[in-house]
Amino acid sequence: MAALGLNLGYLLVQMFSFLVMFVVLRAWVYGPVLELLAARREKISKSLEDARKAEELREHTEAESSKILAAARAERATIVADATYQAEKRAADIIRGAEKEREELLTAANLEAESKVQGALEELRPQIAAIAIAAAGRIVQGALDDARQHALIDSFFSGVREGKVTILEGEALSGAAAVVTSAITLNDPEKEKIKKALADKLGGSAKVSFRVDPSILGGIVIRVGDHEVNGSARQTLAQLQESLR
Amino acid sequence: MTASSDNRILGIKNRYLVLVLLIGWAVAYRIMPPVLMRIQLPAEELTHAVQLPLLGRFAFTNTMAAMLISDLILLVLAFSFSRAARAALAAGGRAIGGVSGAVEALLEALYGLTETNAGRWAREIFPWFATIVLVVLVNNWLELIPGVDSIGILHAAEHGFAVQATALGTTIVGAATHNEAGGLFELVPLVRVNSTDLNFTVALALIAVFMVQVFGIRALGVGYFKKFWNTSTMFTKPIFGVIDFGVGLLELVSEFSKILSFSFRLFGNVFAGSVLLFVIGYLVPSFAQTIFLMLEFGVGLIQAVVFGMLTMVFMSQAVVSHHGDEHADPEGAAAHD
Amino acid sequence: MEGNIVQMGQVIGAGLAMMGAIGAGAGIGIVVSGAVQAMGRNPDFAGTIQTNMILGIAFAESIAIYCLVVALLILFVGVS
Repeated sequence: MAALGLNLGYLLVQMFSFLVMFVVLRAWVYGPVLELLAARREKISKSLEDARKAEELREHTEAESSKILAAARAERATIVADATYQAEKRAADIIRGAEKEREELLTAANLEAESKVQGALEELRPQIAAIAIAAAGRIVQGALDDARQHALIDSFFSGVREGKVTILEGEALSGAAAVVTSAITLNDPEKEKIKKALADKLGGSAKVSFRVDPSILGGIVIRVGDHEVNGSARQTLAQLQESLR
Repeated sequence: MTASSDNRILGIKNRYLVLVLLIGWAVAYRIMPPVLMRIQLPAEELTHAVQLPLLGRFAFTNTMAAMLISDLILLVLAFSFSRAARAALAAGGRAIGGVSGAVEALLEALYGLTETNAGRWAREIFPWFATIVLVVLVNNWLELIPGVDSIGILHAAEHGFAVQATALGTTIVGAATHNEAGGLFELVPLVRVNSTDLNFTVALALIAVFMVQVFGIRALGVGYFKKFWNTSTMFTKPIFGVIDFGVGLLELVSEFSKILSFSFRLFGNVFAGSVLLFVIGYLVPSFAQTIFLMLEFGVGLIQAVVFGMLTMVFMSQAVVSHHGDEHADPEGAAAHD
Repeated sequence: MEGNIVQMGQVIGAGLAMMGAIGAGAGIGIVVSGAVQAMGRNPDFAGTIQTNMILGIAFAESIAIYCLVVALLILFVGVS
């Protein structure tokens, strides 16, 4: 053993040294380090707990926020639907109103146009009638040759004779001068006939003068004083125009 | 001497500094070649030995000097750690910086290991575990300090080395020859690493194994000894009872073999490490020893942790009762080593 | 350096005794191989595996330590 260096004294010294170190380290190092470890462990578990709580809080908040979000989404959807409905309704109203207005305008315009047309027609009628009568007069003038003129005059007198034509119903016309206007120059028999007829009415002393006026177209016009018996074609046409008006 | 932020020491970039040091080393080797130290197992005595009544021969050895130095280092470390830890505790468990922070990290890792192995006995076992680790670690790492194992007192000796006076002191200059005029000397280092002294490792191993038994008795009472003297199944099971009894005796033997393996593992590793450093320093002029210093750094740490961890594991197995299969646990394996 | 046959025997015997370290070396290699494979398979248990690996290495190494003890005994204690 001595050759290996083992020696009881040295051995005891080393043991003593180790035990002293054990006591010192236990007092100065292990106590504090175990406390430190415990404190750190507690701190770690506490912070883990805190982290867990924070996580819970976060999850809670997330759920709440998602709930709020969902509610907001639903509300938004309803608002959008409502607004769409309102807008559609409003649009429909507007369209309907516009259509109505358009129809009204159309009706009014139609009416106005109609009335204008009517007015125009009203205005046009006498002119047309005048034109038509003028045209008719022209035609009648062309159509009334001598024979017809005479026939017309004959028919006038025959009408007088038959009582169809009332001429100068007999008041105080005696003595007045009579003017007979015709379209053509009357021949003598006719003149005699007229004189004779007038003499019947006016008395024998009546002075009869004859005038030719082609504008009366046909027939004859007899004027005695203020009275006039109009058997002319013009008169007939004027009566026709009056009735057309 | 700390490196500045741009990796400079004394204004020189680190790599050039290393180069200069290597060249200087090689030059020094040429001028004054190192000699291979005499390798000796027992610690050298620094003082005159006295004969004590019961203990026998006693002297102050160089390993005792290393022991005192390491104790001093540990005391300073413990004191500073105590102050730092109390300050940290007062501040609500904030982190500790510096060397104390490193110690705290190491102890935290060790405590974690203890907790996984020993469970509720962790607080009892941890101080032994940690003390063994710290003491062995500091003692092992003393080897890395320059001057340890190489600065010492010259003694005249029959088988020694020639010496020569230099400007700075006296140094050994050559291998031993018989016909030197000035006589021959041998160097007795002032400080020799404690772990290369069997007294230290055996003391540690004895304490560790003794405390294992103490923990076993504290946990299981007298029933703890049934592990070693197992006659309970001797007559109930015809053959296996005898085998169990034999296993119990093997357990007893293994407790003693634990002392042997504990002490010689540490001693062998560190002693071999220092011999390796001597030989490498003698053989290779430059740089090679640096690599082996790094290796010794690792070996010192691993041996410290292994010593402590084995103690811890044995303790945590001793506090558990052994009714199950004894071959399933490492205790059974320990019986066969 | 004159020696005697006892010294020679001691040195040779110590060297031969250290041959037992072969087995320990191989054993440590096997232990570490298995442990590293296990760590690779389930890295979550790397801590536990490492603890057991170091224990296994220690047990394997103790064989080599016995060899060392015997070698040291032969070298320094001698045969007398």
